[in-house]
Amino acid sequence: MSVAVEGKRRDGAAASSVRFVYDPSLAEYELSPEHPFRPERLELTRTLLEAVGALSPEAYAGVTPIPERELARVHSTRYIDAVRHASHGELEDEAYSFGLGTGDNPVFPDMHEAVLRVCSGTVSAVELVASGEALRAVNLAGGLHHAMRAKASGFCVYNDLALGIRRAVDAHGLRVAYIDLDVHHGDGVQWLFYDSPDVMTISLHESGRYLFPGTGHTYETGRGPGRGTAVNMPLEPFTEDASFLEAFESVVPRAVEVFQPDLIVLQAGADMHRNDPLADLNLSLAAMGASYRRVVELSEGFTGGRLVATGGGGYDPYRTAPRAWALLWAAVTGQELPEDVPAAWRERWASRSPVALPEHMVDDPSAWTPVPRRATVSSHNRAVASRLMEVLETIWSGRGAQPERAVEDREDSP
Amino acid sequence: MLVQDIMTRQVVAIGPEMPIRDVNVLMEQRNIRHFPILENVGKGPARTGPDDQDAAVDRLVGIVSDRDLRLVGADHPLAPAGVAATDPVRRVMVAPVLTAHPLDPIEETAKTLRENKIGAMPVMEGDHLVGIVTGIDMLDALVRMSGVYEAATRLEVEVPNRPGALASLLAAIAERRHNVSSVMTSRADAESVTFVLRVATVDGRRLAEHLRGQGFVILWPVDKTREP
Repeated sequence: MSVAVEGKRRDGAAASSVRFVYDPSLAEYELSPEHPFRPERLELTRTLLEAVGALSPEAYAGVTPIPERELARVHSTRYIDAVRHASHGELEDEAYSFGLGTGDNPVFPDMHEAVLRVCSGTVSAVELVASGEALRAVNLAGGLHHAMRAKASGFCVYNDLALGIRRAVDAHGLRVAYIDLDVHHGDGVQWLFYDSPDVMTISLHESGRYLFPGTGHTYETGRGPGRGTAVNMPLEPFTEDASFLEAFESVVPRAVEVFQPDLIVLQAGADMHRNDPLADLNLSLAAMGASYRRVVELSEGFTGGRLVATGGGGYDPYRTAPRAWALLWAAVTGQELPEDVPAAWRERWASRSPVALPEHMVDDPSAWTPVPRRATVSSHNRAVASRLMEVLETIWSGRGAQPERAVEDREDSP
Repeated sequence: MLVQDIMTRQVVAIGPEMPIRDVNVLMEQRNIRHFPILENVGKGPARTGPDDQDAAVDRLVGIVSDRDLRLVGADHPLAPAGVAATDPVRRVMVAPVLTAHPLDPIEETAKTLRENKIGAMPVMEGDHLVGIVTGIDMLDALVRMSGVYEAATRLEVEVPNRPGALASLLAAIAERRHNVSSVMTSRADAESVTFVLRVATVDGRRLAEHLRGQGFVILWPVDKTREP
């Protein structure tokens, strides 16, 4: 079996200039003990990286707290107040209208502070890269891409990605290409920058026809001055490695080339994997690792290597998320990982894991039972990618007609 | 939802003497397909109500749509005979006019639009023109009512057509503390009713399993292993 991350360390991507944003308190964003969004993934990944020797002490970077008022660059003040009150035991009826106190977004004590730290982590990563202190930075606790301007949604309370992107745009004047590889559409980030010509959002996801949040159609392409800066590639259920990578290649490099960003922000949700219990894409870790490598290559081609990456979804916390994010770290640092998962790491976590821990860093899809509809899935994805690019190229070349009537604003779009 | 919730209040109205070609130009300029025609508006520019009190109290004598103008002057068997683009619009306007009331439920108005194959109805309060409602307004209302602007998982559930069936479905969803952003009835017969729900949860699969476990028939999300 081959490992997904191959090749030598690249110029300008020395591991020492890539930072791993870390603080134990980042794991305090735990929505509830039974909730599928598991903070243990952070420690599982960090210990796996240390076990394979891929995470040196010099790579660690702390979290610089952002001022609370910075939240208001992305969220409404009424919403921020509601989150704060709810976090401190004052859950008012009004909280429900902000998406709080539901099965997906239960309120827990000091939630406001916990999610503010996650946001600070992602903004810290952006600051490290934008200031030139690091070439790349990773905040695996980040990736809360569903949070809306005035609403908690899809396990996400505040939108750390949007805050990081705002910092890059407003404080550093950067053009940001946001690439979202979570299995769910990156709706929060998309709507928050739907009108913005400074930010391109690119999301690959399982089709909204079948999966939350229901959006991410190809015809969501941005609005007004932001027209042509939202890119959505919905994928059929059961999409496998080859079809996913083909779709990625058809869409992402061209979009990045057209946009010419100064910085790439990658949301690397680990839930496109076959083992994810909340969605139905059938990727293996090989393709996920390959896609991270391609994003790194795009950063080398277009942003001088500058890249910020976060975690995101990923509801197979013991088997999949740690390996996916180890591959992500390997990709951004240009390191190779061993083929095998160290026995010491497996022993350390075996008693807590409800499933057998994997022996290899990438899985062997040839051992999996073939998925149904393989040919249909691939040809459908190919057709969607081709139509999407036709639509986008028309807009990008300036030939696209403006829509006659503005699409009704989403409540949460800016 | 009532007509007054979705109608356009700033109505552009014209007079019966406005030349057809000017009506065409006005449609193009204002991006409007239907003009109510008020008796005392002259050949000149259109009036906009209801701020314009004169227009509001004027008598509604007809309505004209882009369809009524399309074939004027064309070499076509269905072109209105002997009508030229320089003629006054009263030659092609439709009268009497089907109108709506601000307190009509929109489903009634939608039914009237469809049964008469028309695209718009002026909204009258007594003799006052207070708005206009179009098929597009109906479509916008349907989109809003569907809850599609909220991030959600879409469910289609078939329940027996008997009292309490929907209540027990919603109770089963509430057990999991999920908010329901919309409920629509997509189909009904003597035995069963199908509801389309949008539920604010990422984990639609577990919700569907939970509902199946309680005996509900889940039509969507489908079994994704099947050919569509």
